[in-house]
Amino acid sequence: MVKEMEGTEGFEPKIIAFLCNWCSYGGADLAGVSRMQYPASTRTVRVMCTATISPHHILKAFQKGADGVLVGGCHIGDCHYMKGNYMTIKRVAILKELLRFTGFQEERLYLDWISSAEGVKFAEVIRSFTQKIKDLGPSHLRITY
Amino acid sequence: MKAMQEKVRKLLEEKIDGFIGLKMEHGHPAPFLFSRENLDDLEGLVVGDVRYPLNKTLLRVAGQYPDLTFGVMVRGCDERGLTELSRWNQLHRERVVPVGVACPPELAKLCECYKPYPAEWVVGDKTEGITESKRLVSVENMTQEKRLQHWMKHFNKCIKCYGCRNICPMCFCEVCSLEDRSFIVTGKLPPENPTFHLSRAVHMVGRCIDCGLCEEACPSNIPVRTLYKKVNEIVEKLFDYKTGESPEGKSPLNMLGEVTLELSDVNK
Repeated sequence: MVKEMEGTEGFEPKIIAFLCNWCSYGGADLAGVSRMQYPASTRTVRVMCTATISPHHILKAFQKGADGVLVGGCHIGDCHYMKGNYMTIKRVAILKELLRFTGFQEERLYLDWISSAEGVKFAEVIRSFTQKIKDLGPSHLRITY
Repeated sequence: MKAMQEKVRKLLEEKIDGFIGLKMEHGHPAPFLFSRENLDDLEGLVVGDVRYPLNKTLLRVAGQYPDLTFGVMVRGCDERGLTELSRWNQLHRERVVPVGVACPPELAKLCECYKPYPAEWVVGDKTEGITESKRLVSVENMTQEKRLQHWMKHFNKCIKCYGCRNICPMCFCEVCSLEDRSFIVTGKLPPENPTFHLSRAVHMVGRCIDCGLCEEACPSNIPVRTLYKKVNEIVEKLFDYKTGESPEGKSPLNMLGEVTLELSDVNK
């Protein structure tokens, strides 16, 4: 804990990635088998659909010390369950506004659509999101709690 | 007062089977179920200057007697509550007869209520609503750092009494996720900060009718009402949905609907 609080120097972010089984998880898989390089900052949680992710899960991840949370789902129209991601985008939008209002950096929560063919995009999203969290530094919740 | 008593007496004689309002008991107004059989009780019927979650009482009584019609005393917020409760399938709106009270200007100002009067009322005069909330503006004007300190300081005072949930007329779930052990750690005070309060706030999406009883009930003086006012503002901004306003349509998180948001709206 003390080590983690020593400024942002050498700070390796912990990112929880909620990936949907049908698209983003496939994308991650493709990035892997294609041997693409991306930071080992994410801990993946595979879910059947991003609509099964309650705001509680995201909040809980932050509470337990995640520096960032990535939600990866299918593109709109590609959802395996037809409209699951319709709900996800609403929930994430609301939660981000709430996080902003309560003073948490809402950039730490990131939503993107990554299809199972987009291995390159997956690697790129992880790279850029990791960099963004690195710039932001450790989560406030790690320090204040 | 007299107008209210007359109106309720007439309703009880003709239309409704019971009326949920406030009755003077030992010098204090308390929720009471008036019935046709005991019309004399109406002598004690008061509007009262304290507020109770009468809709919550109504839910319980109407749940036990689904075939009966009940009257209930409503203020502007309670009427929005009736609309939402029927939208969430908790009430048969046609079996509820509201008897309205328009709030005095002092209360409207205190609540920063945008509509401090129901559609029809028998007591009080119409007061113009207040559209801009000073509570919200004062928090919005803080820097991000200050906002975090502000909310952390307040949330850390929480003694997890569940008072805000218990008094909330819109909290009707049989199983409450705030009591789910996998989400909320038990035996620890304050409860996980901010998960506990933000979870509740998320649950107020499309439900909070801004009655403010939660804040009145809070023994730690946490400004939860400000948080829920923000929730309502977010819902209005993102989905153009004003909670409790119109009986048509569905609550934004109650249906999948069509996508009106873009990723660029979300990841600003």
